Amino acid sequence: MVSDYDALTAGQELCRRAYTLDEPFVAAYVAAVEDQSGALTGDSGEPLVPAMAVAALSIQGVIQELRIPGGTLHAGQEFEFLSAVPVGWSLECVATLAQHSTRGGWRFLVIDCEVTGNDSEPVMTGKSTIMIPATLGPREMAQ
Amino acid sequence: MTMTTTMQEGDALPEVRKLVDQARIHRYAEASGDFNPIHIDREFAATTQFGDTIAHGMMVAATISEMMTAAFGENWLRTGKMKIRFRSPVKPGQRVTAQGNLRRIIEDGDATRVVCAVSVVADDGQTAISGTAEVAV
Repeated sequence: MVSDYDALTAGQELCRRAYTLDEPFVAAYVAAVEDQSGALTGDSGEPLVPAMAVAALSIQGVIQELRIPGGTLHAGQEFEFLSAVPVGWSLECVATLAQHSTRGGWRFLVIDCEVTGNDSEPVMTGKSTIMIPATLGPREMAQ
Repeated sequence: MTMTTTMQEGDALPEVRKLVDQARIHRYAEASGDFNPIHIDREFAATTQFGDTIAHGMMVAATISEMMTAAFGENWLRTGKMKIRFRSPVKPGQRVTAQGNLRRIIEDGDATRVVCAVSVVADDGQTAISGTAEVAV
């Protein structure tokens, strides 16, 4: 867990986590976003996971590892999807701090994420820009 | 039916409309593990510059991915790229519409890539998200 944002340095690995995209997770995700694009299937008829479900998981570890304080904002996001992901696959997500700067009362963190699948091949890469209040009061820290 | 056989530059993508409410925001928090109080704690959110809870940006962005999936099917899952900025918050009770159009069709040897301008607009006219999405077809 990160406890001192000032100590974060570019190039630092923030987290490395493994997840399984099981049916309950995918069902909960689809229900939450009310995705009505219909279930896609792969070459062997296996159901595929919505692309943004993989993206949501990739960010989960970052959120938890950084203990994102209340008031943090998500400013920008990039994704590249490299492979369709079947339901049931296990993924590994590695998040690395790419940039860290402070201006205008905000701390800007740019975080690169790389997600690999069952076969250790990359399935997604991403870049998240988040803004954390540079000065955290007790209200933010209590969250 | 996907757009890949009939597309031309300027074509509109199939719009996706959603109602964002607090129950949905809570469901997304549970699914994604993002329990930032700005999304789920109305008492906390009332003390912020937004004055109320706001939807997770990634939940709103999912409407763009849904639109791209509807337009390009599995190609989106295998080759999609998206670059977006979160421009204004979406609050509970708002309706949002994901929309887009084909900006460029790039022929490169055997490969064809389609570049789309995409956005999510709330019912008050504010652009919540804008950016580009690209996919090989």
